[in-house]
Amino acid sequence: MTHIDPQVHRVLDGELPAAALTAAQREQLEALQRAARTLAAVPPSSVAHRVMAEVRRTPVAPASLGTRLLQWLGERHAVTITFRPAWGLALAAALAAIAIIPSRGPGPALGEQEGIVQFVGRFPGARSVDVVGSFTDWQPGAVILRDEDHDGVWRGTIVLPVGQHEYMFVVDGERWVTDPLAGRYVDDGFGRMNALLFVRPLTP
Amino acid sequence: MNSPRVLSAAERDISDPDVVARVLAGDVEAFGILIGRYEAGLLRYATRMLGSPDAAADAVAEGLVRAYRHLRSCRDPSRLKSWLYRIVGNRCRSHLVRRSASDVPLEDAPPLLDRSDTEAEVERAEQMALVERALQSLSPEKREAFLLKHVDGMSYEEMAEATGERIPTLKMRVHRARAALLDALKESP
Repeated sequence: MTHIDPQVHRVLDGELPAAALTAAQREQLEALQRAARTLAAVPPSSVAHRVMAEVRRTPVAPASLGTRLLQWLGERHAVTITFRPAWGLALAAALAAIAIIPSRGPGPALGEQEGIVQFVGRFPGARSVDVVGSFTDWQPGAVILRDEDHDGVWRGTIVLPVGQHEYMFVVDGERWVTDPLAGRYVDDGFGRMNALLFVRPLTP
Repeated sequence: MNSPRVLSAAERDISDPDVVARVLAGDVEAFGILIGRYEAGLLRYATRMLGSPDAAADAVAEGLVRAYRHLRSCRDPSRLKSWLYRIVGNRCRSHLVRRSASDVPLEDAPPLLDRSDTEAEVERAEQMALVERALQSLSPEKREAFLLKHVDGMSYEEMAEATGERIPTLKMRVHRARAALLDALKESP
């Protein structure tokens, strides 16, 4: 592979002026800048019409699931929780797991097409554990797990719509960890596997 | 396909958080301001990532609709650009995984030139095809890193927000992407 002198990287990162480079280094710099300029041409197209047609048909989600959960957690409730079998296995194996809880009985004011999902992961020594997923648009900070008894097992509960969701754990804000016991996975296209979970509709 | 929307001066001046607040308050049409502001960059990013204008339009349209539906979950609207790139980036990754055999890769696409093109336009198109081919030979991670850094002009902090990766990881990817792109450009006919 072509060796690029660290000075060239520093110029490209805006840390040094181009004048600091030798002629050979400047050649590399200019080749890369030329490529970037070529790629900067904007495609003469628009999806605005298509997007706005869809937007006008669909209201923004009325309130975030996290907000609704926080509101619910601020009140007193009697909740019956049923874990899926992987929960016991997860703890026994000292690995991460997820429990899916049917949305029946007392709990948050759930719609018919929603369910409660509890995420559980064992991360001894972690300073923070988030869950990011298709339901947070892969943004950290929306689903924060807690280890209140400091035993290394982190837990968090959210309400999710019925259907299939992808997720990953984010440990200490930087380490993305696939749930090893999710059972089903999908390639994220970048060499990692997203775990899959399914929230089923209530049966009458 | 339509041309990108041109924003009025008043639309250009309003901040992202203010536009988001308007949309969340029920002004659906205000979402068009955000589209006008970011769709050109997003389309360019997706086109370079996927090597296919049609797949890129799908990824951007899906991403923008998704952003609209989940707008309330955007925790910091002042960083809306990174949030949108993250959503569209995820759509691009899904497209790369699902890409069907029927897609026409860029290198096989017919040239978009005709007899009325000037010599300079032909040269520009050839240069674009050459650089595009070199870019497509990079792994998706390196391609994304080069595009966000050098084409979209993001800082490493913005790149970290847009990708969810750590800054040292992104710096390493950008450095490797630069070397890989130079290699690919040298190998091009």
